[in-house]
Amino acid sequence: MSIVTVQLGQCGNQIGFEVFDALFNDSHCPGGLCSKRENEAYQASCKERFFSEEENGVPVARAVLVDMERKVISQTLSKAARSGRWKYGQHSCFCQKQGSGNNWAYGYSVHGPRHKESIMNLIQKEVEKCDSLSGFFIIMSMAGGTGSGLGAFVTQNLQDQYSSALKMNQIIWPYGTGEVIVQNYNSILTLSHLYRSSDALLVHENDAVHKICAKLMNIKQISFCDINQVLAHQLGSVFQPTYSREGSFHYRRNPLGDLMENLVPHPEFKMLGVRNIPQMSENSLAYSTFTWAGLLKHLRQMLISNAKMEEGIDWQVRPPLSGLPPLGKMSVNKETHFNTSIANLVILRGKDVHSADVGAFKDPALYTSWLEPVHAFNVWKTQRAFRKYEKSAALVSNSQSLVKPLDMIVGKAWNMFASRAYLHQYTKFGIEEEDFLDSFTLLEQVIASYCNL
Amino acid sequence: MGRRRRRQPYPADAARALPDAIAALSRTLPAAPSPEIFRRAKFDRPEAAPALWRLLFHVLSPLSADSASVSFALEAQVRWVKSVLHSQGYPRRALVQLQDDGSQGGRELLLALAWLLARGPLPERLLTQSHVRLGDEMPVCECEALASPGPPAPRVEAEGSVDIRHLQWLMGKLQLRWRNLMAGQQEQCALLGKIHLYTRGCHSDRSLGHLSVTETELLRDPEGGRQLLQRLETENARLEAALEWRHRELVFWRWMDTVLDTCPLEASPPTFLPRIPEPGAGAAGLPVRELQALQEELQALQEELREAVEARRATWQAAVGGHGPEWRAARRALQVAVAQDLAALQWAWEQGKGQARPHGPRRLVRTEARVPGRPGLWATEATEALRAREVCLEAMLRQLQGQCRQELARLVGARPGLIWVPPPAR
Repeated sequence: MSIVTVQLGQCGNQIGFEVFDALFNDSHCPGGLCSKRENEAYQASCKERFFSEEENGVPVARAVLVDMERKVISQTLSKAARSGRWKYGQHSCFCQKQGSGNNWAYGYSVHGPRHKESIMNLIQKEVEKCDSLSGFFIIMSMAGGTGSGLGAFVTQNLQDQYSSALKMNQIIWPYGTGEVIVQNYNSILTLSHLYRSSDALLVHENDAVHKICAKLMNIKQISFCDINQVLAHQLGSVFQPTYSREGSFHYRRNPLGDLMENLVPHPEFKMLGVRNIPQMSENSLAYSTFTWAGLLKHLRQMLISNAKMEEGIDWQVRPPLSGLPPLGKMSVNKETHFNTSIANLVILRGKDVHSADVGAFKDPALYTSWLEPVHAFNVWKTQRAFRKYEKSAALVSNSQSLVKPLDMIVGKAWNMFASRAYLHQYTKFGIEEEDFLDSFTLLEQVIASYCNL
Repeated sequence: MGRRRRRQPYPADAARALPDAIAALSRTLPAAPSPEIFRRAKFDRPEAAPALWRLLFHVLSPLSADSASVSFALEAQVRWVKSVLHSQGYPRRALVQLQDDGSQGGRELLLALAWLLARGPLPERLLTQSHVRLGDEMPVCECEALASPGPPAPRVEAEGSVDIRHLQWLMGKLQLRWRNLMAGQQEQCALLGKIHLYTRGCHSDRSLGHLSVTETELLRDPEGGRQLLQRLETENARLEAALEWRHRELVFWRWMDTVLDTCPLEASPPTFLPRIPEPGAGAAGLPVRELQALQEELQALQEELREAVEARRATWQAAVGGHGPEWRAARRALQVAVAQDLAALQWAWEQGKGQARPHGPRRLVRTEARVPGRPGLWATEATEALRAREVCLEAMLRQLQGQCRQELARLVGARPGLIWVPPPAR
């Protein structure tokens, strides 16, 4: 079953390229630690999901590229074509001549309706190429102008037109010390709109990925390209093929559907985070070996101490003793707090994967009281290695880990709103104070729901 | 005066007739036990009971003999069989009183089986359900799904209070599964369309024109062909057994009378006479008892309605008072409007009743030209019938939602100190 990706704005397009590149390169990685037949099955599964076939045999990414400027899209198209191994469809792009100056309201209220038909037509063409549509990825930034406002508009239209298809928004959480003055306004408007029309919000935090680049990959001068590549690696480790069942060697047909069923059925809890281990530069990879026990132990501690990478984990954080509630209700001001999960999905790839013991993730203390580990925890496996990592583990979790960043953004946005700063930019294009208030209400409700786990 | 010697049938033949009849029955039913088990069941021997419970489970289960039902423990099967028999109106209470572990009650189970056999053509119905189908089939109505009892549900202990978030989680999961199911079905349709397109002209039967998935697999994989042959041979054997059963069943019924005689009398005489339901007595073949109950309910409702109307009319007439000309004109206008509404309702009902709704699963055939006089159903007609049904169901849904809203409003009114925060509208 296929996934159609909508790449929005500079952020969405650059990341989208890296994602398709990572997926393609992994699926054509020689070896992979498994038999030729299995490798072929893996390749075929990945290809069917993310690429379509064209006459001359070069796979075409199932993607629609949207931006208000030409520059980034042209760069993306040529980068893909240059590789010669895969490419974007010639007619899969939509761009205009001018940007939208980081103005969310302009993107949502002007660009959106004006270009709705063209964009939805492009998406429809891509959908028709699929034998079966599993759902959509929408890659966008949360705080920029075009990507965020237009992205919210497009997601809403996808909800209207393809109401039974699944939608997952890949959201780029801006740096805490970002450059756009109104980024917090943009963020809360984006999040609140997406919460209503999307099924899942998979959040990628720029700050966290930046640290991974600096500490784990040892990159001296970190560019957006490096960040995007780490992000693409994380996404790939989640969505590449896995076995459909314990003991089966057939690949799962609908990972997006299965993931959503396991993690986001509740309408109030849609925010997901992804962690991946190990993550290192290719040079170091050759000299490292790992055990499943070690990887899983680190991953679990990363989850409960809310660490985003395997270095600098706080090992003092422990799950609360059974029967006792976690120390008071969660207060966003506390530094170290046990991160309660609603549901978790662990994905294991590589050698001897069937011997990996995930029992520690089934501890009821990790989870909220109203969902038992048998419902809350799932594990996917494949013995086919991911990229050059002999063993790798990814964790997608629906937990309290995004509450603090969300609360910070809402707080800052509220402070600006209370002094009516910069509101005219929004009211000029039809986003009224009421809409802001609705957004605040919704997000406060989300924060409260997560805090009360 | 010599002793009269009555001519008896040759004893050995008579002795074989019963086991042969039961053996034929066994061969036609799924998972049926040997004739020896039946004999032991008559004398209520414990080893007979589990086999007969399992037989009843397979006979009543909508899934014909597949691996899913094997995984149910005997106790779950026993409870399920009891509930299904009860819902079908099985009269003997002794069955319900049997222990859940399935260790006793061979005789009662025999009686239950006989009751099922007597009610309708059971072997033939089971054979139709498990019939080997060569074509790609698609149901065009929901009748079969609605009529069959659901599979056994896991036992859920209601312990104390339930967190509503857990319920919301489960609801959401169900909705997501529905969406995934739809996506899967769309994929299946797209792929079927491709297979039918690619195999045009391959079928020896010109009226079909193309191959189905089973037929394509037959050509691709000889092992598949062998398995199909095996299944056809099994079905054939069961059909022959069913015919033999029909020839010999009288012997079985005479024997069942003796089984009934060995049973202790029930406090209230059971109505053991087999009742074959009238055709058209409801899609699920409701037993006569339930129909009578419905009839009584309808009569009671009609009585209530009549009283309510009388009361209303009386108060209205008292309120209106005089009989001026405008009042007469208004009254006439009202009568005309009501008559129109009733006529419209009547017409709508007649329309729905007259149409023959398509039933049962059909083989999918992809054709280009519309050949007149061809048997079968066009996809457009089937879709129209389904759309009409969809409209009905949506109207029902709206009505139920309205009732829920009224109920909520009533609850809101009952608790003045509560603030209700509705979900954000888009």
